[in-house]
Amino acid sequence: MKVRAIDCPNCGGSVELRGYSHSLSAVCIQCLTVIDTSHPQLTILKQFQDANRVRPLLPLGSRGRFGGKLFEIIGMQERQIMVDGTTYSWQEYLLFNPYAGFRYLSVYRGHWNFIEPAKGLPETTTRYLGKPALKYQGETYRHFQTAEAETSFAMGEFPWKLEVGQKVTVKDYIAPPKLLSEEITPDEVTYSVGTYQTGEEIAKAFALTTPLSLASGVFANQPAPAANLGSTWSTFVLLLVGLFVLSIFLKVISRNEVVFDQRLHYSSADKESAKVTDIFELKGRTSNVEIESETDLLNDWMYLDMSLINTETGQAWDFGREVSYYSGTDSDGRWTEGNPKVSVNIPSVPSGKYYLRIDPDMSDDAGLHSASYTIKVTRDVPKFWLLWLAIPLLMLPALWRTIKRGTFETQRWAESDYATSSSSSDDDDD
Amino acid sequence: MTNLFLGNLKYWLYGLTLLGGAGVAEWRGYSFTSINEHQVAPKSVRDNPGAYRSHYSTYTRYSGGK
Repeated sequence: MKVRAIDCPNCGGSVELRGYSHSLSAVCIQCLTVIDTSHPQLTILKQFQDANRVRPLLPLGSRGRFGGKLFEIIGMQERQIMVDGTTYSWQEYLLFNPYAGFRYLSVYRGHWNFIEPAKGLPETTTRYLGKPALKYQGETYRHFQTAEAETSFAMGEFPWKLEVGQKVTVKDYIAPPKLLSEEITPDEVTYSVGTYQTGEEIAKAFALTTPLSLASGVFANQPAPAANLGSTWSTFVLLLVGLFVLSIFLKVISRNEVVFDQRLHYSSADKESAKVTDIFELKGRTSNVEIESETDLLNDWMYLDMSLINTETGQAWDFGREVSYYSGTDSDGRWTEGNPKVSVNIPSVPSGKYYLRIDPDMSDDAGLHSASYTIKVTRDVPKFWLLWLAIPLLMLPALWRTIKRGTFETQRWAESDYATSSSSSDDDDD
Repeated sequence: MTNLFLGNLKYWLYGLTLLGGAGVAEWRGYSFTSINEHQVAPKSVRDNPGAYRSHYSTYTRYSGGK
């Protein structure tokens, strides 16, 4: 890019101009005088205070590639707004390409935006999610903040007549990662569209060897993590459908076969309480066995000490269950306690021939205790509790993303005109 | 549809692994319950069932009822 040099009319220092005839004002880097470069007779417009001098993150003359086009930084200004008594400032870089024209690059606390002039006027549309909105190129932008921005410092050259303390009303509308800015002066209204960029993207665009400072906080148009919550929840719903299909499949293929059903009797007068059942066969794959006991107990209890024993291998599953059932009437009316029926689920039992060893026990107090009970053994009973347990586990990622997104959006909008409470100290200006 | 899968690839992997695990566990009849003791019973149990002492045979009960 061709560079032209002029002498500062204030200090005589050399001022480089890279913007061809587009530059209407330039700032002398030595004395911070704003020079009117729109005509050969260079005149002084204003002068910035040296106390306001800031060091740009990207030096003038740096070249960066955006959208395949090479742009050079020819100007930088620091702008600031005041919200609730707090000053927030950011840097704006003016980029120039002789064929593509001007673009802007803004940075606030490590959050970058590549800004282009809007192609056409946005349209005012109905409120969107409770906020005023603009429609631009088919996308709805929500109002985020309105503030009066002031230029507090500038260096380089600009295609407008720069004024110290120049103020414009800025209305920002967002549709992350886009930001639509409406800048209002007494003479005109201009629109520009920014696209959020990370520090890594900017460093890559300018081929920087040292990394830029990390972003802190959440910026207005910063893309949210888990941006598409709709597809996340759609995934959950589809997985849920898969779970139900799996449940139906398992229900259909399960044997659910009663392999033993016998009525037995026990009396505390029996000399030998323990007994064994006939041999029954458990067929099919390794799966569960459900053993149900139903008694005719009334105001009594019975303990069933049982073992399921494989006749061939001797492998045994021992288990015990108490069955008790009491009922009566008192001043509150009729009451019952316990259940005369109990069931046990034995998981992962291989196929083979089995029998049950049953050793009942009842109260050994005075008097005869006896009970009849049935033992029913069912092979491969569908139990869906593992699948039901999978439902909350399936929901966890979607819930986590929703909470994360909600927290992020709360942080985002805390910096807007719609904050529900004042900004946290973490979000204070540097 | 492609975005639904690719945009949530980790979620799909997690979900399908979970479904697969739950399905296999259900298929094999697994359970978290640890009430069952596995041991080898002697051949004589059928002849003398009273001699066999299972893990639960020492049960003592506190009588309930209202």
